[in-house]
Amino acid sequence: MKKVKTLILRTAGTNCDYETQAAFELCGAVVECVHINTLIEKKDKIFEYDILAFPGGFSYGDDIASGKILSNEVKNKLGDKFKKFALSDKPIIGICNGFQVLVKMGLLPEPKLFEQISTLSYNDSDKFECRWVYLKTEKKVKNESNCIWTKNLPDIISLSIAHGEGKFIPNNKKLLNSLNKNNQIVFRYSSKDGSKPEYPLDPNGSIEQIAGICNTKGNIFGLMPHPERYVFALQHPAKEGFDGEYGWGKIIFQNAVDFVK
Amino acid sequence: MFKIEILTKKGFKNSHGKHVLSDITGIGIRNVIKVEYSPLYIIDGDINFVEAKMIASELLSDKIIETYTVNNHSEHDSKSTATFNCALFVVEVWYKTGVTDTVSESVMKAVKDLGIIKEMKVKMGHKYYLYGKISQTVLNNIATKLLANTLIQEYKIK
Amino acid sequence: MKSTTNCKIVKILDLSDKQLLELSRKNVLSLSLEEMKAIQNYFKKLKRNPTDVEIETIAQTWSEHCKHKTLTGVIEYTEEKGSQKVRRTYRNLLKETIFKATVELNKKWCLSVFKDNAGVIEFDSKNGVAFKVETHNHPSALEPYGGSATGIGGVIRDILGVGLGAKPLANTDVFCFGNPNTVASKVPEGMHHPKRIVKGVVSGVRDYGNRMGIPTVNGAVYFDDGYMANPLVYCGTMGIIPKNKIEKKVNFGDLILVVGGRTGRDGIHGATFSSIQLDQESDVTAVQIGNPIVEKKVLDVMLKARNLNLYRAVTDCGAGGLSSAVGELGEKTGAVVYLNKVPLKYQGLSPWEIWISEAQERMVFAVPPKNKKKIVEIFKKENVEAVFIGEFTKDKKLTLIYNNDVVTSMDMKFLHDGVPKPTRLAVCKVKEEKEQKPVKMTSSEISKALRASLADLNVCSKEWIIRQYDHEVQGQTVIKPLQGNDIEVSGPGDAAVIFPYTVVRGTKKGIVLSNGLNPQYGKINTYKMAASAIEEALRNAVAVGSDVEKMSILDNFCWGNPNKPEILGSLVRAANACYDMSKAFDVPFISGKDSLHNEYSIGGKKYSIPPALLISAMGVIENVANTITMPLKNNGNKIFVLGITRDELGGSVLAKIKNIKDGIVPNVYPKESKEIMKRIYKAINKNLIESCHDCSEGGLAVAISEMAFSADRGVKIDIDAIKTETIRSMTIAEILFSESNGRFIVEVYPDNEEKFQEIFNCTVFSKVGYVNDDKKIIFESKKNKIKVQEDPETLLKVWQSTMNW
Repeated sequence: MKKVKTLILRTAGTNCDYETQAAFELCGAVVECVHINTLIEKKDKIFEYDILAFPGGFSYGDDIASGKILSNEVKNKLGDKFKKFALSDKPIIGICNGFQVLVKMGLLPEPKLFEQISTLSYNDSDKFECRWVYLKTEKKVKNESNCIWTKNLPDIISLSIAHGEGKFIPNNKKLLNSLNKNNQIVFRYSSKDGSKPEYPLDPNGSIEQIAGICNTKGNIFGLMPHPERYVFALQHPAKEGFDGEYGWGKIIFQNAVDFVK
Repeated sequence: MFKIEILTKKGFKNSHGKHVLSDITGIGIRNVIKVEYSPLYIIDGDINFVEAKMIASELLSDKIIETYTVNNHSEHDSKSTATFNCALFVVEVWYKTGVTDTVSESVMKAVKDLGIIKEMKVKMGHKYYLYGKISQTVLNNIATKLLANTLIQEYKIK
Repeated sequence: MKSTTNCKIVKILDLSDKQLLELSRKNVLSLSLEEMKAIQNYFKKLKRNPTDVEIETIAQTWSEHCKHKTLTGVIEYTEEKGSQKVRRTYRNLLKETIFKATVELNKKWCLSVFKDNAGVIEFDSKNGVAFKVETHNHPSALEPYGGSATGIGGVIRDILGVGLGAKPLANTDVFCFGNPNTVASKVPEGMHHPKRIVKGVVSGVRDYGNRMGIPTVNGAVYFDDGYMANPLVYCGTMGIIPKNKIEKKVNFGDLILVVGGRTGRDGIHGATFSSIQLDQESDVTAVQIGNPIVEKKVLDVMLKARNLNLYRAVTDCGAGGLSSAVGELGEKTGAVVYLNKVPLKYQGLSPWEIWISEAQERMVFAVPPKNKKKIVEIFKKENVEAVFIGEFTKDKKLTLIYNNDVVTSMDMKFLHDGVPKPTRLAVCKVKEEKEQKPVKMTSSEISKALRASLADLNVCSKEWIIRQYDHEVQGQTVIKPLQGNDIEVSGPGDAAVIFPYTVVRGTKKGIVLSNGLNPQYGKINTYKMAASAIEEALRNAVAVGSDVEKMSILDNFCWGNPNKPEILGSLVRAANACYDMSKAFDVPFISGKDSLHNEYSIGGKKYSIPPALLISAMGVIENVANTITMPLKNNGNKIFVLGITRDELGGSVLAKIKNIKDGIVPNVYPKESKEIMKRIYKAINKNLIESCHDCSEGGLAVAISEMAFSADRGVKIDIDAIKTETIRSMTIAEILFSESNGRFIVEVYPDNEEKFQEIFNCTVFSKVGYVNDDKKIIFESKKNKIKVQEDPETLLKVWQSTMNW
């Protein structure tokens, strides 16, 4: 069987690399955590991999703004390589800080454009908060979202969030409409019954409760919640999951690995 | 030397300003009605105005929700107090010399990533716009009790 | 040696006693006359005066912070009980109490205790787990944010510096503050308002811990006005380490590598400063600001270097800076350091400042010369500064060189063993505790007292703090600090459990962390305070499913001025309780720390803080699947109280609220308690317990209410069924609010009742009620015509509203 090689990009302040690696490996991928300096040194190294992951954390301390310094660094030093990778339809995921990086460098919502046209800003509460939330999913089957990462998920799942800057804001109404039209808004914060949530279930005041988006092709996925923290049922506050053992976050990683296979 | 101020664009929430306002109310001061917060950066080095603007637009501000001024010069709307029929006070807070300023170190690294490889010093500061009828004593109280720890920071009231 | 521009000769050979003391005071050395004389004598033998670098080095190495002179010194102790006096001399209090218990218990799973930067116990056949708790009080009083951030940063480095380095898995934090609702005018001049301190301290721990990617999973906050001017900030870190990386050994010829942050003037005199009382004009250079990202980079790379066996020893730069770190590593060999090679933040530091600076985020390594190139390369690859500053020698001397001048040349033996053992007097007058007048309350008074207890600062929800910490990063927090039956959770978990699956692949095991602390008891009786703290920490761990036979504990003493015999006496009593309880529970201490001199002055008058002993517990859980939470699970399930309820209201929340004089402070009955703890473990592993909660502050009324409102369920309790001590009949209020140790509340599925009772055969337990389906929390005594009825939702709000900032 084909080995699915995953690259997890590391730099100063990357935190969630261990658990993201564990999640991909649980789904059968071969994972390497690679420091950005190594990629800058060997610019084509990235093409040895099938999946690219930007993990959570506080890259460069989130100084100035979350993900800002890393997104600039990647764009300025490796921009063309990452764009090429993104346009080759290989799966890319950005989780939390990784999502902030993808958005600020412009690989989301549209890698062809490769420009920042949306942002993740300070939570309305102006507080860093760690909690579990419900997410309403839009799936390929039902809503014809192209997102390869979110197939086979139930309508509502729960995941943990931990961020201070997760309020998604598109630059204009037109972009919001097209995100909606193309079913790119794959995760929205939700109440347990699927209705519109209030704080704290809407943790940050995102426009239209946006928690995660993908590009039109569906290979690039960015989200504020942490699926890597819910690959086992044990990790759920009430130890809930599927098959008695796994957490719903695992499906997300499995989808990408299966897609490559 | 360039002083760069980052401002929240109109129509977007200044969350930190709101937070500070609730802290002010929390210590029993009621006549402040609105607070806006702006990060400040001083870049001291061999750079020109175009480079300073590039640093402000590409690095220090967010294209979607923020705008900036370089040495108080802005191409966008300047701040207006018209909507608030009351006095406006400004408090600036800076680290004292010698105190570790971690953000400034990150900024210097990030400026290099932009391709501006020059010797420079960076300082980060905080600017608070306070709206309301506030006496000098109260203002000092707010500054010393909430905005600055005078052990490591100094503040200026304008 | 001669005076140069950078190094001065300090003339002490001919100084009188008075002049010696003056020198100590003027240079903030915090050295006593005896100590100054010991230095004088040493240099008399060398027939020369010391340099300023030497004097400063000695002051650092001999500081209370580094040497723990009080607890390892001679103590002449007198205990007075009525007219009875008992005297005892301790040559070394720590060795004769806490450490003695550990030696006597001799657990083979204790892998490294009381000798390294943290205690290490066995996790599995290949790994150990290390735990350390530190305090960072004085800096947090002056600069709450920077102080607490460097506190957590420092204890994380302790874990990086244990053995050859452990990977941090979790942080804990415990704070003591003044009342945050204090009127501004009541705050002493020059001190920060307690609320500002709370907010600053919490943000500091948040920003440092979150940026390090280490979840803060367990803690406690204690409010008492005795901590207004002198808050306590305890930070702990737990990490995992391969068994073959636990030992470090420095060889002569090994190079000294300093890694991480640069050295600046920050924190000069931090170690000696911590032994000085706080007042308005406290020294500003003692404040340090941390940079978590620098430390994170060090962590990332050093674990790689460790796995490549590139170094032989490592330790962190904590109090005393390079002076302590190099001194510690080179104690048995000797060392030569070229101070001008140390990377500086800015120019202008004199050699002694470089040597003792407490600039953050630095680690010191002993590197075999053959790995010189490789180790620097690997650090450089991730932009971490790593510079060789000298080497370990075999002359057993400390030699410091600056610009080719020798500025220090002293024997390691003098430096480490030359400190004279002080003799201190300690007195403890044991107060006799009297039972309070019977506390009689009507149903509505009990209702009121229950609400007031839940809203009390020391009972109320700490969610505002907990949510700011990323307590889930690393994905391994399986028993979380806030608990519920769905994701919208808020109940107060007793302990946290970490499931280290990302590091130890395929494991089923977990690590439990918990704590116990109750300064209120200590105001009356420090022996019982210590004993209760130990039991509470163990109970908390047992409540989530820990095996009490696999537990270890840490002690952290924060006390007032030990030069006052009564204050030191209360500490001796607490240390004795530690010995007694450690032995009785068969639970060893593996590490500890003390912070004495927590004294502050207001208007010229000196005050000591209320003594605080924090006990932190760590244990290994065989199977993380067999852990439980505290919210009630299902309607119809039965509620049991395990243990006896005694008339023990001394120091209780109710006593504070109702201003009750007298009262017996809760005793510990280790035999009874341990028996119950062992059986809970058995019952949880047989799946016979649905939920379990420790009963402590606020007593049964609070604990049972918490279990109910955390689940949004009702519960019906028959107060008459609660088994109490029979010596004196207790009133309903006493039964509900007494804080007797040794008690748990458990929920049992009706079909399991029989099996459950079988397990607890021959222990005291009472079946007191059931989970109610009408969403009412009811406490009823038909005998006394008392019926208290509350909604879970209301009580939850009361409990949450106090600190809903």
